[in-house]
Amino acid sequence: MNEKIVQLKKELSKAVIGQENMIEGLLIGLLCDGHILVEGVPGLAKTTTINALSRAIGLDAKRIQFTPDLLPSDIIGAQIYNPKDHSFSVKKGPLFTHLLLADEINRAPAKVQSALLEVMQERQVTIGDETFKLESPFLVMATQNPIEQEGVYALPEAQLDRFMMKIVVLHNSEEEELTIMRKAASKSFGEIEAVLNIEDLHTLQKELENIHIDEELERYMVQLIAATREPKRFGLESIAESIMFGASPRASIDLYKASRAQAFLKGKEFVSPSDIADVIHKVLRHRIVLSYEARAKGITSDEVISNIVETLPIP
Amino acid sequence: MKHNLGKLWILFCFTLLQAEDFTYVFNINQSNPYMKEGVILTLDVNQTNHDVVLLFDFDLKKSKHYSFQRIGIEEHDAHHTMQIRYTYLLYPLISGDLNITFKMTKKVTTDDSVAYSFSGDRDNVKGLVTKDFQVDLNPVTLTVKPLPKGTQIVGDFTLDYTIKTHQAKAYEALPFQMTLKGNGYPPLIEHLIPKDVNFTLFTEKPILHSTADAQGTHSSVTYPMALSDHQDFTLPAITLKAFNPKTEHSYLLTVPLQNFQVSKVAITNLVDKTDYPPTLKANWSWIQTLLGYLVVFAAGYLSAFAWKWQKKTTTKTEHPLIEKIQKTKDTKALLQLLMAYDSHRFAPSISKLENSLYGDGKIKSRDININKVKEEAIGLV
Repeated sequence: MNEKIVQLKKELSKAVIGQENMIEGLLIGLLCDGHILVEGVPGLAKTTTINALSRAIGLDAKRIQFTPDLLPSDIIGAQIYNPKDHSFSVKKGPLFTHLLLADEINRAPAKVQSALLEVMQERQVTIGDETFKLESPFLVMATQNPIEQEGVYALPEAQLDRFMMKIVVLHNSEEEELTIMRKAASKSFGEIEAVLNIEDLHTLQKELENIHIDEELERYMVQLIAATREPKRFGLESIAESIMFGASPRASIDLYKASRAQAFLKGKEFVSPSDIADVIHKVLRHRIVLSYEARAKGITSDEVISNIVETLPIP
Repeated sequence: MKHNLGKLWILFCFTLLQAEDFTYVFNINQSNPYMKEGVILTLDVNQTNHDVVLLFDFDLKKSKHYSFQRIGIEEHDAHHTMQIRYTYLLYPLISGDLNITFKMTKKVTTDDSVAYSFSGDRDNVKGLVTKDFQVDLNPVTLTVKPLPKGTQIVGDFTLDYTIKTHQAKAYEALPFQMTLKGNGYPPLIEHLIPKDVNFTLFTEKPILHSTADAQGTHSSVTYPMALSDHQDFTLPAITLKAFNPKTEHSYLLTVPLQNFQVSKVAITNLVDKTDYPPTLKANWSWIQTLLGYLVVFAAGYLSAFAWKWQKKTTTKTEHPLIEKIQKTKDTKALLQLLMAYDSHRFAPSISKLENSLYGDGKIKSRDININKVKEEAIGLV
């Protein structure tokens, strides 16, 4: 494994116990310039992880708690009137950062979600007449609370597609929770030190380009995505009725990037089918729209994806 | 109607007074008015402390001894230099010395607070934070002259009346309307026609239209009425005593005596022979409603047990993966199955299978004992 990645993971483990899945997702997002949607109940160290990551790489990090009365200007920024000289000056919002934790994104109305997701895509913000480019890296980790669905504004499928991966964060194991409890009681969480800088991160992003993917595996990835759109063509009659809409071309791009980053994180020089399997659920689970029948039967998109991986022959 | 307050504008200025952060001065157009004569009162406020943002909240205190109406606020708000003129039209309601009292709040704020409140919008109103101070203002005293005895109306008014017809059938209503129009204290009179008349009088609330400005109150009050009786009757002459404070003369507004002819109607024509509303009949529709409620209740009660029936039909098989792992015929099929199920949980087995199939990039493919890997994987299920 790359030495810098090892150092980074070691540094993160001082503040975050367990949650390898989320840390791995964040690192893939950072390496691939993608954004991450996290689903998990409160108290699973989402903010701690973002803060620890920002400190370990020497980046800025900010957190926005999304609420129903939030306005686009609250996150983007606004022009403020100055009565002394009757002029307007720009006050930049919390979006101007490297790592942004958008907590409970589905609590804000559609206009705020759209404003954020547009910025995520364009990586630039327009306030009044001025356009500001966001500094690289810019990673948004948005969270959704799977409980308390009353009074929330669910993200539409078209907007979910802009997230590279959706990570489901689960509670820590009992052993991990015991460690957290003891460390919190004795206040012995270590201080995070910067082990990487932005230049190192850019170097790692360049190194990622050297990871080899065989042409057969590239075709395999495209077939996996195509199977979500036309399951019957790949002999997946059993799940054909469960899928209303399959994944978009963005899914193919993100699966390609994420599997390469996954191989890189494992210290490999080439991508193997298991790297694809490691990331395919994260990349596709929010992009497959299940039919009403499937939802009524309690079928999840993860089950559908597993079915596809199990059926399509690996190269 | 020719004389008005504007043409007789003589200002009675009170001394310019200094308060903390501002100066103020009261002006009245006369200090010795008649009762119910319009008085124009103005207050000019000038900010003297130019280091803060000042806002004011001013009004007259309510009193049964006078009535008032704000007729204008002029505001000149240069940066940190607030100038305001409040203008009121006031009517004294008692004679003798009358104190006009005031309430004023001075609001002090900063440019930052104003800027913050500007940054709000329609959906997100941001309040202006101010420090409020009550300011005690000295009362303004008027010496009010009494009205001539018996005066009912004060101002310059005219009286019109309308009677559509003087003939009617017995008990038929005869519409009668009086309108007072002019400039002065709005002429709302409780009893235009005496109570002890020998016919039935129907009255409505008077309809008042009025506008107030620096010239006084221009009002039109209409009294809609109807008269009725079973025989001929007479409406006595109506005389209203009015006083014009501008000319200091009293004058009379009159409606002359009116005679009405009433024709008799046969009593049989007056008796109503149709029942309204119709007489009640037995209504049994409540039984249908009650049955409906019972059916809905029973359906709801039974549906609470539906989960039990559902539970019986769903069966779950334990660890179907074990059987699948055992049935796999070759390395690739086993790799594919483990990858699909949980690539993290079976990572050690997957790694071995991948090395066997593709090598690790450095060493070539080698043979593997598939049954051993299967056992390992089953152990991880």
